Amino acid sequence: MPSANGSDKEIQPMTRSIIGGAAAFSNSTYFYSALSVSMLFLIWIGTTQWLAVVSTKLLPSPVSLFNEFLVISRSGYAGTTLLGNILASFFRMVLGFTLSAAVAIPVGIAMGMSGKVRGFLAPIFNGLRPVPSIGLIPLMVLWFGIGQTSKVAVIFLASFLFVVLNTAEGVRSVPVGLMRAAANLGAGRVQMFWRVVLPASLPAIFTGLKTGLAVSWAVVVAAELLGAQRGLGFMIEDAATFYRIKVVYIGLILIGLIGIAMTAAINALERRIVHWVGKS
Amino acid sequence: MAYLEISGVDKVFGTDGKPGQKVLALEGINFAVEQGEIYALLGPSGCGKSTILEIVAGFERPTRGTVLFDGARITGPEPERAMVFQQPNLFPWLTVIDNVMFGPRVQGQSDMRAAAKRAGHLLEICGLGGFEKRYPYQLSGGMRQRVAIVRVLMNNPRVLLMDEPFGALDALTRLTMQELLLAIWGELKPTIIFVTHDVDEALFLADRVGVMSRRPGRMKREVGVEIGRPRDVDVMITPKFTALKSMLIHELRNEAQATDGAPQDHTKILTG
Ligand SMILES: Nc1ncnc2c1ncn2[C@@H]1O[C@H](COP(=O)(O)OP(=O)(O)O)[C@@H](O)[C@H]1O
Ligand SMILES: [Mg+2]
Repeated sequence: MPSANGSDKEIQPMTRSIIGGAAAFSNSTYFYSALSVSMLFLIWIGTTQWLAVVSTKLLPSPVSLFNEFLVISRSGYAGTTLLGNILASFFRMVLGFTLSAAVAIPVGIAMGMSGKVRGFLAPIFNGLRPVPSIGLIPLMVLWFGIGQTSKVAVIFLASFLFVVLNTAEGVRSVPVGLMRAAANLGAGRVQMFWRVVLPASLPAIFTGLKTGLAVSWAVVVAAELLGAQRGLGFMIEDAATFYRIKVVYIGLILIGLIGIAMTAAINALERRIVHWVGKS
Repeated sequence: MAYLEISGVDKVFGTDGKPGQKVLALEGINFAVEQGEIYALLGPSGCGKSTILEIVAGFERPTRGTVLFDGARITGPEPERAMVFQQPNLFPWLTVIDNVMFGPRVQGQSDMRAAAKRAGHLLEICGLGGFEKRYPYQLSGGMRQRVAIVRVLMNNPRVLLMDEPFGALDALTRLTMQELLLAIWGELKPTIIFVTHDVDEALFLADRVGVMSRRPGRMKREVGVEIGRPRDVDVMITPKFTALKSMLIHELRNEAQATDGAPQDHTKILTG
């Protein structure tokens, strides 16, 4: 963003790289990221291929993994193409996460605005908070069977609390100064909500959505481990049963890479929508 | 009857059912402001200056006493009694022009084109021409406060309530802002209550200065500033100005010492 002429509180780049978060990724930060990735790769090649000190039954070499990747991207896995497996997991996650956010955001707003709603729901949510969502999988299977519904339900629950609690906190902590300024300028209750409370809460809502998304992706894989006909979690579980260790690794790496891509995408969206955050 | 009349106002915080200690912030506040007058409230930090403005703005209710504006009781915030806060309180997600147009939009003013034209005019006067599409975080502190002033001026307020609006600015910017405010006042003649703890600022701007005691805030003294208008910075070195300044500084100094429990004579510590 260009800064105004005569800005009296400009942060110098040096300070920014010290105090700044992801928004202030400098070139040297990228350098060290590249360094860690290449080191990991070198150790991997070194131990499996050059020195051969690690059994390729436990950790296949990068080259053999890549060859296997070419094979399954051509012929698929267990009757489903590789892309089909990826998309199966992805759409489960999108479905569960979207439904979850669609319910959690309004509920969070209601909690943030009303002490009664907050008091009513707090014990339920506080009780659910320490329960790991993966622990709910068997219960969801009992309730909804092993089909799509139980998996979507697990994803729904996994991200729900993060979005609800962050949204509620965001709504509660809208600066009084902004509300007073708006009231003074003639905003009524409805205007106050749409033009002040909601935009002021967006940063916190985004924080909840980001965590919820990451958790959803982790949980979809876990849910697929317990019975599914397709999906990355299914692929890993099935391949492990048949000692196709390379496929297991391919599945894990794909999950990691897709996770990184999703985080990057939602971070980019966040920077676009709540562009004012962290600047003052 | 005066235009704005504050009579016998007490304010006790912590009486609205919330737990916590009760604080007597204001006690027996009486003063009146005439239409078109600039009235400065001067007092040590924590004496209740902001609280008085919050009551006049309609954000807080007096615990006792009455506040009459143009003969009617104040029941809540209204655009005609416009508050300029110490923090600009701009909406960070809106550009300068959208911040300025906030009032006309939420009030559903019928002639948006006229409002936009007025916004452009006021921004130009305040040296913000060309910055319409900027976001608040892209502006300096002085520019942000000017946007906040333009934003309330859009509503044609009859009273401007200004709570140390230039307190966070550097000395030079503050002076420019004070001159700008006097220029705006010269054109629109709003009634202004200006809160400050800066004696120079109070004397430079105001027709009268009300001096407050430390907490619980009481009106201690009222001083007329008989310096002609239009004023420029040169009035600050006139004998009349310096005499008033010396008097007000002594008033404030007594209050500050009473607050801090500081000894009357510092030399005693050193010698004794
Ligand atoms: N909402 C509040 N609740 C409790 N005490 C308050 C509140 N607002 C102000 N006070 C107290 O009232 C006194 C006057 O505050 P304020 O009007 O902000 O003073 P000033 O603006 O002169 O510095 C202070 O002691 C402050 O702590
Ligand atoms: Mg104050």
